[in-house]
Amino acid sequence: MIHSVLIFNNAGLPRLTKFYSPLQVSTQQLLRKIFSLVCSRPTGLCNFLDAPDLTELLGSKGDGEEVRVVYRNYATLYFVFVVDGAESELGILDLIQVFVESLDKAFENVCELDLVFHFDEVHHILTEVIQGGLVLETNVEEIASAVQDKTRARKASYAAANPLSLGGGGPGSRGPTLNTPIGWLTERITGVGAR
Amino acid sequence: MASSMRGLTQFIADIRGARVRELEEKRINKEMANIRKKFKDGNLDGYQKKKYVSKIIFTYILGYKVDVGHMEAVNLISSNKYSEKQIGYLAVTLLMHENSDFLRLVVNSIRKDLDENNEINNCLALHAIANVGGSEMAEALAEDVHRLLISPTSQNFVKKKAALTLLRLYRKHPDVIPAAEWGLRIVSIMDDDDLGVVVSVTSLVMALAQDHLEAYSVCYQKAVDRLQKLILEHEYMPTYAYYRVPSPWLQVKLLRLLQYYPPSEDPVIKGILERVLQTIMDNSGEQPKNVQHSNAQNAVLFEAISLAIHLDTSSPLVATAAALLARFILSKETNVRYLGLDTMAHLAARADSLEPIKRQQKTIILSLRDKDISVRRRALDLLYSMCDVDNAEAVVGELLRYLRVADYALREELVLKIAISTEKFATSYKWYVDTILQLISAAGDHVGDEVWYRVVQITTNTEDLQEYAAKAIFEHLRVPTAHESLVKIGGYILGEYGHLIANDQGYSPYEQFISLHSKSQFCSAPTRALLLSTYIKWVNVFPEIKTHLVGVFERYRHVLDSELQQRACEYYALATRPEEDELLQNICEEMPPFPPRESALLSRLNRKHGDTEDKRTWIIGGKEANMDREAARHKPSTDTSDASANGVKSKQDDTDILSSLAGLDLSSPAGAAVSEQKSHAESSHSASATAKSLTAASVLRGPHIDRWFEKLCHSNEGVLFEDIQLQMGIKSEFHGHMGRVAIYFGNKVAAPLTSFTATLSVSDPEALSVSFAKIPPNTVNPRAQTQQLLHVECKKPFTTPPILTVSFIAGSHQSLAVRLPIVITKFFEPVQLNPADFFERWKLIGGPPREAQRIFPISLDSVGHIDIAKNTKVVAGHRFGLLGEVDPNPANLVGAGVLHTNEAGKVGCLLRVEPNREAKLCRVTVRSTSEEVAAEVLQLLRDPLGVGSS
Repeated sequence: MIHSVLIFNNAGLPRLTKFYSPLQVSTQQLLRKIFSLVCSRPTGLCNFLDAPDLTELLGSKGDGEEVRVVYRNYATLYFVFVVDGAESELGILDLIQVFVESLDKAFENVCELDLVFHFDEVHHILTEVIQGGLVLETNVEEIASAVQDKTRARKASYAAANPLSLGGGGPGSRGPTLNTPIGWLTERITGVGAR
Repeated sequence: MASSMRGLTQFIADIRGARVRELEEKRINKEMANIRKKFKDGNLDGYQKKKYVSKIIFTYILGYKVDVGHMEAVNLISSNKYSEKQIGYLAVTLLMHENSDFLRLVVNSIRKDLDENNEINNCLALHAIANVGGSEMAEALAEDVHRLLISPTSQNFVKKKAALTLLRLYRKHPDVIPAAEWGLRIVSIMDDDDLGVVVSVTSLVMALAQDHLEAYSVCYQKAVDRLQKLILEHEYMPTYAYYRVPSPWLQVKLLRLLQYYPPSEDPVIKGILERVLQTIMDNSGEQPKNVQHSNAQNAVLFEAISLAIHLDTSSPLVATAAALLARFILSKETNVRYLGLDTMAHLAARADSLEPIKRQQKTIILSLRDKDISVRRRALDLLYSMCDVDNAEAVVGELLRYLRVADYALREELVLKIAISTEKFATSYKWYVDTILQLISAAGDHVGDEVWYRVVQITTNTEDLQEYAAKAIFEHLRVPTAHESLVKIGGYILGEYGHLIANDQGYSPYEQFISLHSKSQFCSAPTRALLLSTYIKWVNVFPEIKTHLVGVFERYRHVLDSELQQRACEYYALATRPEEDELLQNICEEMPPFPPRESALLSRLNRKHGDTEDKRTWIIGGKEANMDREAARHKPSTDTSDASANGVKSKQDDTDILSSLAGLDLSSPAGAAVSEQKSHAESSHSASATAKSLTAASVLRGPHIDRWFEKLCHSNEGVLFEDIQLQMGIKSEFHGHMGRVAIYFGNKVAAPLTSFTATLSVSDPEALSVSFAKIPPNTVNPRAQTQQLLHVECKKPFTTPPILTVSFIAGSHQSLAVRLPIVITKFFEPVQLNPADFFERWKLIGGPPREAQRIFPISLDSVGHIDIAKNTKVVAGHRFGLLGEVDPNPANLVGAGVLHTNEAGKVGCLLRVEPNREAKLCRVTVRSTSEEVAAEVLQLLRDPLGVGSS
């Protein structure tokens, strides 16, 4: 299963943290540890990392299951998945790509700022991809439509509560002050630099 | 939405604006204090709660510990507004974990959302359970989740979530989920048209099937069928193609699922699977378009190779795979190298022959120097797995050389692996001792105590080795500094066997003493204690250095450590006793050999891998390691298991250890492995036997069904089963020991029968083989019929007809099992004999036990006569040749037939049917060269001839 899904920026600031199994140590400590493992690897190495010392930190009940880190670096962000031996490594790599594409679809050229200001939305999208540490859906279209359904339901509940409001914001409707898309994603994901 | 809450946006902006960490912390602490105050004051409306909880969530995401807001999150969940509910659920899933006390408070709200008629709320609830559900939730909500999964009105996206939620609950609390009972229903969802649903359900099935192999065995067929559709027939929704690979996720899951089952015997399934794997491997030759494409392609390919290895390590597929792997480990792409090595370790763990891997030995050894530690680790695992008697010296030598430069994180594991390989595959004692001593001197700090204990044990138990070992350890101690473990070994071995080498140049007692004693000041107290014992032994054998030794004791009598002091005092007293005293001699007798015991190293490595929740289908290590593990898995889990199984196990342990101790030549594990396999086979056999009794119990019986069956036994076509939804008919033909049976499934209702599954079970596969010509389709259209062909082969006489189990969804999930009219007389060929021949054979066979006879009541036809026409039909229908001239009474029937079987040859069978009109009784006598056949034929004829048959 997938133990955790993390997004860091280049400076090591967490932009998304989601753990599917209870932690044994403080989150900060774990995040620092994981980031230091990942960022110390130069490009060109493989996207997988055995992490025996994480096993204890994540507290997988000492059942001997080894923990692996699968990560991918997109421009300024690291997407890091901590998984156990039951997952196919390349499969997880694909999944990261699916997740990124879903984010991109929901935010139209997603950038780091979107992840910061729409952290709840990012989590809602993640819930459509992974549930309880297991893969729920890998079809980007399906994920996008599920996310849209949710957004619609939320807007409906706003409208019902406050007839004067102009919708509840949401992906794609950034405030003008926040409109600084870095455009780092769409051109890059298909290119060679995607690792 | 976050941006719709100004306070929140401001908060986020502030934190982003904080240039140093202290400022950020300050801002957060201020905000948390504010929130705490607001919560304490109470009287917040939904919007405010939502806002504050959002801030808390954001703080949490930054990695800060938060301890407020749980209660407010719980309140938000029960809100009527979706936006508030959503944030509430998000907070619950992020801030709480399965053991949180707050979860008790949300169970009821969650149940309400599960039962609601609103799918979006259903999903929120399911998602929450999947994230934080523990055993309490499992007890309260498992039923509801299951209902959402199987309900025909559930939307696909609800089903997907329900499947994964159920899986979570099962993992947390397996007891509340009647996994075996729900098996067929859950597996049937694997036929869903929506691949998203299939992915989720396959994950669920994977977990459940591991614990309930038999109850979920249908999933094997389903998985193969789905792979066939995806890979061979390209039948899938285009949106599920991920960079042109059809749902790699699903493929990987299915391929993995198949590895949990023993290879299928069914030739059709085997054939399809082979084509699937072949196609996947062929596809890998295709030039990938981009990184994504090659990732997806390889993900599937590596899993396919693993499956091929699982199915049959000597198949041509695996040979292809080995060639592919050899290419992969040279690949420029690091990911591919990594996975290539990993999969090769799997191959090494299973394969009978390591040859194809050994050819790559150079490349693999080079991989130890790869720039990426992940790759180095895999190379190490692989080298360990591929190590055997032939290449042990080269591999271990390489590992030793690598040890000097290896990463710190890798060393401990490396040391353990070197030590085990050395012990397991040593061809000479000298090499063993040399290697271990080198190992300790190179990486002493990482070498556990087990390693040096083992050296001492083996040296003590092997007389030829003692002199060499003493010399070798002495050489290692000559240098000014030596690792403490070396000093310990030296202390023990030189103390015991130092006298064996004392006469050689350069190994004099005094030199031995100096070499050890010069190290003692750097050693810990236990090691010094050990050295004191060495010295007392030397007092016995080396009188020439006694003065030095006694001097040492004298000094140690005044040390602070009480243990050392006591030893020194006692040894001093012993050493200073008069010359003729024999006490010292008796005390310093040579040590007796150690009793054989399990290698502590292996048990440590096993503990490391431990009980891996059955997630991996193989472990690092050679073939034996995997077989041991298999056996352990198949061993009855209850402790009341029969003594014989335990006996086998413990005996195997003994021989294993004895061999490693006595000979170190490792020639005997072959025998041990055989016994392992046998016990494995037995246990799996008993498992399938119980499963069979289960299915047999649920076979449908009833007057109609029995009559249909009976009739089909003596005719080649007719109705097998019929109810208001489904009709099944049979057409069959038999030649010798082979037969073909066509089954027609007719859907009588106006809706399609979906997830249609037909499976066969044969109680004795050794005697009768029945298989579908291809996998049955999974839908039967409204008011339409599909036909399935069965291939039948009789190998030996048998008594129980095969059972056909059909399940489908028409509104609800239904399943029924009926006997197939495949009985032994189907394989008869009628024979014509003249009366003389007949009687000669009749007499030759003789009476019981090769004769079976029974007298039973019959009914007469409408005018009170014996129904000769019916009797003739029955006897001829059971494929006996009717011999008219043998019996003058026209009512009596005489027949002869020959049973054709593939393995047991032909069996002759003679028959007399003698009805009596007055008594309304009939006597049937069957004589056959096989008792079993005679009894079975009688049994088959009795019912159609007797009372009550039409």
